[in-house]
Amino acid sequence: MSELLTQLSYCVEFGKIDKASPYPPNLKGQEGADEIARRALDEGIKPDEILDKALIPAMAIVGDKFTKKIIYVPQMLMAAKAMSSAMKHLKPYFQSGETKRKGKFIIGTVSGDLHDIGKNLVAMMIEGAGWEIIDLGVDVNTDKFLKAINDNPGAVVGLSALLTTTMEHMKKTVEAIKGNYSGVTTLVGGAPVTMDYCLKIGADFYSPDPQGAVNYLNQFALK
Amino acid sequence: MTGKTFQFEFRDLNINVDNIERAMGYPEGESHEAIYDIVVKVMKQVEAICDLKAEYRIFNDISYDDANRRITVQRTVLNTGKIIYRQIKKSDALALFVCTAGREIEERSRTAMRESDVLEGYIYDIIGSAAVEATAELMQDELEHFMKSSDLKISNRFSPGYCGWDVAEQHKLFGLIPDNYCAISLTSSALMDPVKSVSGIIGIGPDLKRQASTCRFCDMKDCLYRRQD
Repeated sequence: MSELLTQLSYCVEFGKIDKASPYPPNLKGQEGADEIARRALDEGIKPDEILDKALIPAMAIVGDKFTKKIIYVPQMLMAAKAMSSAMKHLKPYFQSGETKRKGKFIIGTVSGDLHDIGKNLVAMMIEGAGWEIIDLGVDVNTDKFLKAINDNPGAVVGLSALLTTTMEHMKKTVEAIKGNYSGVTTLVGGAPVTMDYCLKIGADFYSPDPQGAVNYLNQFALK
Repeated sequence: MTGKTFQFEFRDLNINVDNIERAMGYPEGESHEAIYDIVVKVMKQVEAICDLKAEYRIFNDISYDDANRRITVQRTVLNTGKIIYRQIKKSDALALFVCTAGREIEERSRTAMRESDVLEGYIYDIIGSAAVEATAELMQDELEHFMKSSDLKISNRFSPGYCGWDVAEQHKLFGLIPDNYCAISLTSSALMDPVKSVSGIIGIGPDLKRQASTCRFCDMKDCLYRRQD
């Protein structure tokens, strides 16, 4: 693998966003994910290669470290930010169709619930795994989920809830999705949600951490 | 019915970087240089923008239904669940409290997230939660001190959403206090506005004991926030 891709992967794993980022100390003053991704493209490395050989593997390591409690949420967010700073250079290639993603992932916090940190974290990790994210935000009602599914055929859907009171809305939305689009896969998550609850409401998968969701999603990857 | 209102300053709360790192999941003694610097920066901002308020009201008109583990306050029946019922049932009176760290912290958190600084947004959120919990702790200290003069003790504080008490019961608590009490309102899904707010009850009586934390009473053994003391 190209030395640039190795450097890029390291920057993402350790949250080195750009040259100005002071962390990690051993890279102080050096280029970060932002500059290296740009340079990799300028030197003719294919966007697909940048995504598949540097960004996705780095984020997989980050997700795995988080699951094993080697790192914590802040470091995962730093890594995700570094990944985003590299990803912005790839966006034109996604838009032109030259580079394909694994698929689309629609995500939202269910109606009545305004909590978004867990949802954002999951969205960033799934984006880092090579998926296009359609983030519907917070307090998302069933109709909005259904419209997004209609507009994005083949997308997988993630629903988040942090309150026991709003879990009821999660149930209603999952039932409506399954009733209208039986083939759509649904993932659920949030502090009060469990695998038992997931099965009870007819959702397809629950994971207590983002990497579990990424691993599950990979079976539906289009590339 | 008596009650009291408090306004605190951030410096009263005894929150430090170490507390915040623990709240973010870092084990005792483990830190991260870059995160430390951001926590220090955000904490200074929070000190300037937070609006720490607390209020409590004491209700003497209470009764207990042992068979169904229900507490009636005036005419409102609270289904606190067995864990809280056991801790509260020796109380002669109940203090119903609400506390808030104000709206600005969550605004900053959302703005940072919107502007792609998710880490800073997350740290605002964590510090906001720590601030409102510490505010509740101070209010509880004041209540304990006040009750001591009448030879009364207090229990731990218990909130809907914890120790098996359904968060929807928050509507019942808010039905017992005036609208906009402590500048907090409740959404239909029982979410408080501002989000960085807590509500709950504290038992008052001669035979109660305030423990170091409520975690020992709770069934959620794997909870991220579980305290060992």
